[in-house]
Amino acid sequence: MEEDTKPLLVPVGGDESNYGIMNIQFNPEDFKCKRPFHVEPTNIVSVNDDMQRVTDEASAMNKRIHYYSRLTSPADRALIAPDHVLPAPDEIYVYSPLGTAFKVDSCTDGYGKNSSIVTIFMIWNTMMGTSILSIPWGIKQAGFTSGIILILVMGILTLYCCYRVVESRKMIPLVDTSNWEFPDVCKYYFGSFGQWSSLLFSMVSLVGAMVVYWVLMSNFLFNTGKFIYNFIHDINVTDIVPGTNGSNRVICPSATSGHTPQNRSVMFSSGNDTGFELFEEWWNKSQTVPFYLIAVLLPLLNLKSPSFFAKFNVLGTISVVYLVFLVTVKAAHLGIHLEYNWFAENDFFVPEFRILFPQLTGVLTLAFFIHNCVITLLQNNKNQENNVRDLSIAYFLVGLTYLYVGMIIFASFPSPPLSKECIEQNFLDNFPSDDIMSFVARIFLLFQMMTVYPLLGYLARVQLLRQFFGNAYPSIFHVLILNVAIVGAGVAMARFYPNIGGIIRYSGATCGLAFVFVYPSLIYMISLHRAGQLTWPALIIHIFIILLGLANLIAQFLL
Amino acid sequence: NPKGAVKDSVLLMGKSGSGKTSMRSIIFANYIARDTRRLGATIDVEHSHVRFLGNLVLNLWDCGGQDTFMENYFTSQRDNIFRNVEVLIYVFDVESRELEKDMHYYQSCLEAILQNSPDAKIFCLVHKMDLVQEDQRDLIFKEREEDLKRLSRPLECVCFRTSIWDETLYKAWSSIVYQLIPNVQQLEMNLRNFAQIIEADEVLLFERATFLVISHYQCKEQRDVHRFEKISNIIKQFKLSCSKLAASFQSMEVRNSNFAAFIDIFTSNTYVMVVMSDPSIPSAATLINIRNARKHFEKLERVDGPKHSLLMR
Repeated sequence: MEEDTKPLLVPVGGDESNYGIMNIQFNPEDFKCKRPFHVEPTNIVSVNDDMQRVTDEASAMNKRIHYYSRLTSPADRALIAPDHVLPAPDEIYVYSPLGTAFKVDSCTDGYGKNSSIVTIFMIWNTMMGTSILSIPWGIKQAGFTSGIILILVMGILTLYCCYRVVESRKMIPLVDTSNWEFPDVCKYYFGSFGQWSSLLFSMVSLVGAMVVYWVLMSNFLFNTGKFIYNFIHDINVTDIVPGTNGSNRVICPSATSGHTPQNRSVMFSSGNDTGFELFEEWWNKSQTVPFYLIAVLLPLLNLKSPSFFAKFNVLGTISVVYLVFLVTVKAAHLGIHLEYNWFAENDFFVPEFRILFPQLTGVLTLAFFIHNCVITLLQNNKNQENNVRDLSIAYFLVGLTYLYVGMIIFASFPSPPLSKECIEQNFLDNFPSDDIMSFVARIFLLFQMMTVYPLLGYLARVQLLRQFFGNAYPSIFHVLILNVAIVGAGVAMARFYPNIGGIIRYSGATCGLAFVFVYPSLIYMISLHRAGQLTWPALIIHIFIILLGLANLIAQFLL
Repeated sequence: NPKGAVKDSVLLMGKSGSGKTSMRSIIFANYIARDTRRLGATIDVEHSHVRFLGNLVLNLWDCGGQDTFMENYFTSQRDNIFRNVEVLIYVFDVESRELEKDMHYYQSCLEAILQNSPDAKIFCLVHKMDLVQEDQRDLIFKEREEDLKRLSRPLECVCFRTSIWDETLYKAWSSIVYQLIPNVQQLEMNLRNFAQIIEADEVLLFERATFLVISHYQCKEQRDVHRFEKISNIIKQFKLSCSKLAASFQSMEVRNSNFAAFIDIFTSNTYVMVVMSDPSIPSAATLINIRNARKHFEKLERVDGPKHSLLMR
């Protein structure tokens, strides 16, 4: 046999701190993703009931495959495992709330193959998402100058905390942390409290994102339906909301003393009066459309594996790029309308510094959030020593994108006829439903969100059910109840409180408190203290960061 | 052509391509023979070195589906093949499109058995079940089992569904081996006494050549139900490595702060594995216990006459 000349004992992995199984026969070249899965050493060594990551069947299959491969020569295909018997790999999805849920090509043996550019793009892509729609509103709430400053400051702050998350694994001595994600690190330092609290905050971010998605999807579906209906029936609709005149119309939906925008329209058309009223009754943004979505999305949530949807990842990138393009075109048409009033209120403009700025920081906490999955994303980087540099570049690009969209929308908002206060929490709402460019944007975003929604639901289900029941799909009833609860929350919010800016800032500040501010800093301080290297400046700075996070959360409720 | 004494054999039969060679390779941990399809049927008798359960010899025969030359050869050798057969294991490929023909060949084998070795035990394996959709497996197996039991009368056959890609193959062969041991209940009782005396967590008795579990005792629930097959695969893999060094595997001790496990030769046809969860008991003590038990169990084997005990030939 040709294998006779190969050494019998080949250590697994090049990492000397890897306590992995001394695998009798694996050739290091076999590493590159030929091995379908991997048995944790703890399965053999530990007697406590730690939740294992690999099922008994998978572990038995692993042994079987190792053994069978010894019985034949490589040329003989007789005992190669066919695809249908291999256990499905634990699907690794990373998501950033409101960003893209992203399926990682799992090369979990740790030998990454992505160049820096790809890694930077992946991080940008995962972080970028629907929070971009609320940035102009956030800048408006904080004031133009303080908004820009806050975007930069929050970007740097969250970047630093992200850096702390990435480094947190390395400070753990004597344990093989190569497979760990940040919740595992929390569990190491804080025991099961850390595990449960990171699960809780992760759920907050996921469910918050799903609720925002539902509200936005109802919005976009409503507008799309309205546009199509009007287009088909050739209706020329003028909404009785204040807005600019002319071809690039910008409207101010909430001008009627602040309550939720109505969808009444005055109709000038040659069509059927009653038909239109019937349509208006059955196609209402907050009363009926949220319910129609249930028929489409609830079945999708019950699917066992949403890997089909991960293929549509590219829609997210296209949507963001298109939004940037749309913003540029609109600004070119509308021109710049800026006036600097430092602290005074004005009919049309907002002061440069406003007391409501914590609302922006709440939104930004979620907009810059990637701390729950940054380790997984950076793991596939080919040159690991460039991780910090690549992460910083990615954050810089994300900040730049947010800044650009926010500033341009804010600056080009036609202020003499309309007030800057009119900028909506979803800036697409400022364009009427018959505007072609925003119609296209809404369609893109609608499809993108419909494909990300099941992925987010899958992640929520896997994390929650695995923690409680040990099994990602215990029975159709458990899954159904969970999905109904999540969908119900979305529908309720769409019905009664469709203010995505509000939802984003509350959930952002909450889950940001744990993952961005408190845990990374606390873990860093504890690890330094254990190593005897805690200095006063480090202590003060990190306690300050924790207090900032707390203030961020409290301010959301007070202001 | 009778070549000296004809040894008692276990026949592994089935259509060409039904998976017998892979099965033998996996169970007996020997390298897969080079592509036998080119050579036509497996002509194995003179070269079979595989022995287990004492001096039983495993013979593979392709039955049915081959060309006329092989048919004639098979027919002319029939009496030779079917004489002194202890066990017939017949393998059916569940995906076969020629069910009628399969049954026909099976029945002709049964006729030969009835003529030459009417006391033989018959086992039918419905193989390659992984190719059937999971929710259909029970149904399809039940159908086949009913047909086979009906066709086998007056002989009795025991049916298993198997696949090399899950635990069913190992379990089926373990059941077969279990049924071939006449005094297995007594063996189990003695094993339990042994385990309780030495305060072991678990004691396993393996067949020596195949590491199929003959009998086991455990004093508390163990979490991993697949551990027998896993241990068997690990040891067989290790044996293969040893054989590359022209060494033969005799015994193994695995120990850490939580447990100590000993795998050692037991009787002439068995291996024992003892798992102790009290690591403070020194190895020497357990090894002495095993050595003393060995003598006792060998006596057990000699008590039953040669006709009745398969463990002694």
